[in-house]
Amino acid sequence: MRSAPIVAELKKQGVTHVVGLPDNGSRALFEILWADDELEVIGVTREGEAFAVASGLYLGGVTPVVIIQNTGFLETGDAFRGTAYNMGLPLVMLVGYRGFQSMSPGAERVDTAATFFEPTLKAWDIPYSVLGDGGDERARVAWAFDLARERSLPSAVLLTGTTE
Amino acid sequence: MLDKYHCLSKLASARRDGDVVVTTMSVAMPWAELSDTALDFASVDSAMGHAADLAYGLALARPERRVLCLNGDGSTLMCLGTLVTMAQGGAANYSLIITENGTYEVTGNQPVPGAGVVDYAAMARAAGLREVHTIDDPDDFHRKLPLHFEVQGPAVFIWRIEQGGEPVPRPARPIRDRAHELRAALAG
Repeated sequence: MRSAPIVAELKKQGVTHVVGLPDNGSRALFEILWADDELEVIGVTREGEAFAVASGLYLGGVTPVVIIQNTGFLETGDAFRGTAYNMGLPLVMLVGYRGFQSMSPGAERVDTAATFFEPTLKAWDIPYSVLGDGGDERARVAWAFDLARERSLPSAVLLTGTTE
Repeated sequence: MLDKYHCLSKLASARRDGDVVVTTMSVAMPWAELSDTALDFASVDSAMGHAADLAYGLALARPERRVLCLNGDGSTLMCLGTLVTMAQGGAANYSLIITENGTYEVTGNQPVPGAGVVDYAAMARAAGLREVHTIDDPDDFHRKLPLHFEVQGPAVFIWRIEQGGEPVPRPARPIRDRAHELRAALAG
């Protein structure tokens, strides 16, 4: 999964701030973001904080994006519900899909971070697009921004692989 | 000990045009009686313990304005990591006020964990914050009131207040409407 087109699309969408917490899959993406002078990266201590900080940023008139992993996402329930969702904010999140491969037929161990993930997204009314290695990074990120603005509610892009 | 209502009244009087005030829990409704403009945001019907980080995001987005957040000790304990996030990220225009009364006031004054033992100022300093002030008597409050608006933040003020009896806050309008009004007011 290529970081450069993801970052390019974030800039095209007017993103000013990246709020989140890196994981193995997003490591390369974060390294590019940290080195980019046009984007401000705000590290948080827990994923719930990311939704509150990002919501404050949006209410302040700038454009944040949240980047976290699904394990941390599962911890964020009340923070997500009470800020971005209840406030009706068009917030886009990129969420690392830990355990995606573990759901393949014949996998030795199923990772519940993966099996709980998409049902939770549906329960929390978060539309999402699954990004793999198909080379369509920009289109999927753009789709999430378009939908978030259309609904004035959060949307997500799920990162199934490792960024490079 | 401080009287919450007296302190809120003095804070409201000292507040300048353009300052943003975020409140939650037992402070939200008393503050709304003092000030209910588009720049007053009650983090109510929202996320438990996330007023301070929401306000921090506002401060980062609007560095030209002072952003104050009135957060309880119970709410602070729900997201202690925010002290570290604030220290790491900066925000010279941010003042976090922790109203410490040792209880979850709006649910009937049950004690918060560590009531009377936890040293919020020490925790804030240990998180890396430099402007940290504990205030527990009225004379000291009056001396330090201007600092809430002037000090180079991110700053933390711990108000040691008497226990109260505020009920669960119930804003008249949905948080979605109030949030979008705040954004519009800041854009204007």
